[in-house]
Amino acid sequence: MTGADGSHAGAVAVPDWLVQQDVALCPCGCVGRRRKASFLTRTIRGGSGILQQVLFGEDVAAAPGLLQRIDPRTKIVSLLALLVVAGLAHSMITLAALYALTLGLAAASAMPLGFFVRRVWLFVPIFTGIVVLPATLSVVTPGHVVLTLWHWHGVAEGVTTQGLLAAARVVCRVAASISLVVLLTLTTPWVRLLAALRGLGVPRIVVLIVGMAYRFVFLLLGSVTDMFQARQARTPGTPRHDGTARAFVGAGVGALLGKSAQLSEEVHHAMLARGYRGDATTLERHRLRAADLGYAAAVVVVAATLIWGDHVLVPR
Amino acid sequence: MSHADPTSHADPTPDPQELLVCRHLSYAYLERHPALDDVSLTVRRGERVALLGANGCGKSTLLKVLDGLVFPDAGSYTAFGAPVTEDSLEDEQMSRGFRSRVGFVFQNSDAQVFSPTVREEIAFGPLQLGLSRDETAGRVDDVLHMLGIPDLADRAPFQLSGGQKKKVAIATVLVMSPEVLLFDEPTAALDPRTRYWLVELIERLGTAGRTIVHATHDLDLLHRIADRCVVFSEDHRIVADGTPEEILRDRRLLVEVNLVHPAAAAVG
Repeated sequence: MTGADGSHAGAVAVPDWLVQQDVALCPCGCVGRRRKASFLTRTIRGGSGILQQVLFGEDVAAAPGLLQRIDPRTKIVSLLALLVVAGLAHSMITLAALYALTLGLAAASAMPLGFFVRRVWLFVPIFTGIVVLPATLSVVTPGHVVLTLWHWHGVAEGVTTQGLLAAARVVCRVAASISLVVLLTLTTPWVRLLAALRGLGVPRIVVLIVGMAYRFVFLLLGSVTDMFQARQARTPGTPRHDGTARAFVGAGVGALLGKSAQLSEEVHHAMLARGYRGDATTLERHRLRAADLGYAAAVVVVAATLIWGDHVLVPR
Repeated sequence: MSHADPTSHADPTPDPQELLVCRHLSYAYLERHPALDDVSLTVRRGERVALLGANGCGKSTLLKVLDGLVFPDAGSYTAFGAPVTEDSLEDEQMSRGFRSRVGFVFQNSDAQVFSPTVREEIAFGPLQLGLSRDETAGRVDDVLHMLGIPDLADRAPFQLSGGQKKKVAIATVLVMSPEVLLFDEPTAALDPRTRYWLVELIERLGTAGRTIVHATHDLDLLHRIADRCVVFSEDHRIVADGTPEEILRDRRLLVEVNLVHPAAAAVG
């Protein structure tokens, strides 16, 4: 049966306020009060940024460069060798040379140097800040005080030359090490990195779990972004930094956990449906070429030279 | 058109043309949310069967039973003459044979596309079934070209659109060349071009003699993608079985099972 207005009998009963032609609750425009984005907002936006960075990273890995041409297994072993050098070096000159080497490799691998340097130095303060700052003080590293902060029984205490040198050494060591890791991850497609780990004897199931976890991160990142944007779309003005934000985070974590459990079951079903019985086989098969052996030999020579040079510069 | 005789396919002698045979299946999630209630269905070789019904009527659950992913609380299921149970699929040979003959395209493509690259994803099934790397690589290339997506081969799944993910999900199953293809809501959430592409593919596979079972409530394209329709009621039972023409003609049935709205039925 159709009513005079064209509606059908038994249709949804719509409340009056929903059919009125008034504009929404606040008809006014800008009120001039602004609030900065909350920690939550910035974090979730940062998550979206990660996705873009990874997409850019895939472009770098596909670029025609020196490291892109090297077998990933060779790159992993070389990385480990150079990380050992970074760990053993005591001289600032050695560490600076190692860092310069990573910059050279980045340039030879068609990587924008500004991007590479920013990527590395973003992490350095996180890994070194807490450790290094106390080490600059005379109470931890005694020596010649260059910046007096307080006096203890008449003796000046503060930042020492020796402390600053030790801190600089740690910072350089961490910067060189992170640079090496970033070089590997940016010049190697994720799938080839996983295959290389498998080729180096990492158990198959570990590689499979790591690969799926990587995929899951992006699915969950997408879900988080969707949930946040859905909330934002229903939040007039700037979201407040109060209990509702914390409640949203709590509810979001719970919802994500549920989604994750459901998805993992579906993924497992999809694997079973295609014959998975607990032992995955991959398509990739790599063979070492002369260029790989040449690169490995060059790395060994450089590593040995750096270690020897370090011994000469800092006799022990 | 037959109306809900669950025992109509009961036959004590196995018929080689009867590929999938379900008898009196019942299944409940968490033992209290029923999904299938006394469902009997026989799928014959070369048939294109559409499982029709409203949301939550049990279509997807039946597809999972047909693919040996969930197991009924009551009733029996045999595929290619062999019983399919949790226990029988523990057998390496049975599992390998069954998995290579039945392919399942999930509704949620994200669940099916989990490898780091599209190429790895498509290669997953054949490699698990023991095909050599070279043969797998050849098949992967063939399927990529057949579906017109060779440019996606080295892309990561999170870089794909919904339609591309669906194509990749279909490729992951076609590469195994299964005898029976199960599709869960294949045309849902696809743009018109991808939707018609998929319809043409199902038609082509049907012509090639593949057996196809798909769950859908998309009635517009039914005549092209099915030659038999099995209708579920909202209380998880099969209430009708017939050709698309017969089912679409029965407006009262379609309204009853919530496949069309009474207003649409009055207009139609």
